[in-house]
Amino acid sequence: MGLFTGIKEKLTGAAAAAPAGLVTEAAVKAALANVIDPDLHKDIVSLGFLTKIEIQGDRVAVEVNLTTPACPVKEKLKAECETELLKIPGVAKADVTMTAVATRPAAATATPVTIPNLAGVKNILAVASGKGGVGKSTSAVNLAFALAQSGAKVGLLDADVYGPSIPRMVKITRPASMTGETTIVPPEADGVKVISSAMFSTGDRAQILRGPMAGNVAKQFLTNVQWGELDYLIIDYPPGTGDIQLTLSQTAPITGAVIVTTPQEVALIDVRKAMDMFKTLKVPVLGVIETMSYFVCDGCDKKHYIFREGGGERLARESGVTFLGGIPLDPTVPVGSDEGKPQVVALPASASAKAYAAAAGGLARQVSILNAQNDGALEQFTLTWKA
Amino acid sequence: MIAPANIRVKDIAQTDERTLAIQWTDGRADAFDVVALRRRCPCAQCVDEWTRERTLKPEAVPETVRPVRIDSVGSYALKIQFSDGHATGIYTFQMLRDLVAVH
Repeated sequence: MGLFTGIKEKLTGAAAAAPAGLVTEAAVKAALANVIDPDLHKDIVSLGFLTKIEIQGDRVAVEVNLTTPACPVKEKLKAECETELLKIPGVAKADVTMTAVATRPAAATATPVTIPNLAGVKNILAVASGKGGVGKSTSAVNLAFALAQSGAKVGLLDADVYGPSIPRMVKITRPASMTGETTIVPPEADGVKVISSAMFSTGDRAQILRGPMAGNVAKQFLTNVQWGELDYLIIDYPPGTGDIQLTLSQTAPITGAVIVTTPQEVALIDVRKAMDMFKTLKVPVLGVIETMSYFVCDGCDKKHYIFREGGGERLARESGVTFLGGIPLDPTVPVGSDEGKPQVVALPASASAKAYAAAAGGLARQVSILNAQNDGALEQFTLTWKA
Repeated sequence: MIAPANIRVKDIAQTDERTLAIQWTDGRADAFDVVALRRRCPCAQCVDEWTRERTLKPEAVPETVRPVRIDSVGSYALKIQFSDGHATGIYTFQMLRDLVAVH
């Protein structure tokens, strides 16, 4: 700061502080207009994040509502708000409260149609892969629980009708029940609502269903499950590009998709097909997660890239989407999965859990960016023609 | 700047007895003649699935055909139910944007 600007600030500060109660809402807004959301590239005032201003003498208390509970830049924004508020002449104390309500694309005119059971669901996220066995369900589970740990309300829909695995990977504390004729109340695992076709079949019996039937089961999980209020509904898509994937995308407006892949080229071929499917269905791909990225053995700290290095990152780069991170191979992950303990819950300090938590944060961020862009898009609508 | 893949419907309305107007989230506005839309139906009954050849003859569609209702499909397409009973066409946003606006 130059000498003169310093003096000027002191002067204006002294002048404005003299008559008590001169700190105005306009001054607060003007100060906070200097705080820019790094993702949305707009200041928090014009983004409408400022929800409350209270001025009492030389004390200012504001409430800033972020677009996602999992906002990774929360602390940074809070500090910037405090700094800006204290710069206002006459302000001696600044209280900044950060709240969070996930945004959803704003609906408008025509006649929006919503599936009643999805009315409270703000974002529907597909976790998908082209190939099976890449750790897609493990990723879906850990993303869901990591988002829940950050304070979001989360649901998890296992759409892999033929090979449902999620009920094994989480500990269901309450069985699924019915309310009314056709509505399913989803059971919960550590506060995450979970639904899976495994809950409706007995033991190890195979699900033998023709494509349209399988699609129907998946569709009912969207339409007939009482999801309630959710910030994120994570759908674990079955691998591939078939009936179920198409039906899901036609039934509900999917906010975006996360693609899971392993690093090697042979997996990437199928992943590109999955990405192409989402492009056709106009489901934005929000990011790529690479599983089995590397292995750190207990004897040395060296990263061993067992399935080649950098495939996921390359895929993200060439498709112009965000790389949400690589998850290391970790023998404790499958143990936790088999015992119903997601890694982010069981071993939050492990490298794999931290990688999942970071990926979930990155995902939440992409969702807010997308929703800011989608402002004003109609979700579901019906137009009746007048003769 | 919205990626072309993310462009969706911002507003949709009937502007006269045979015109459907769509405003897209990128600001572009298009108007479609509904009879022309019926003739361009992309469904498997109207277009050969293998050769992509149009099997629906334009003259088979009367000038009097109108939509009955139009529904969104996911976040990527429209489904138009027509007064001649035909309702199987899924008009993707991409296809609609690629069609030359009629008016």
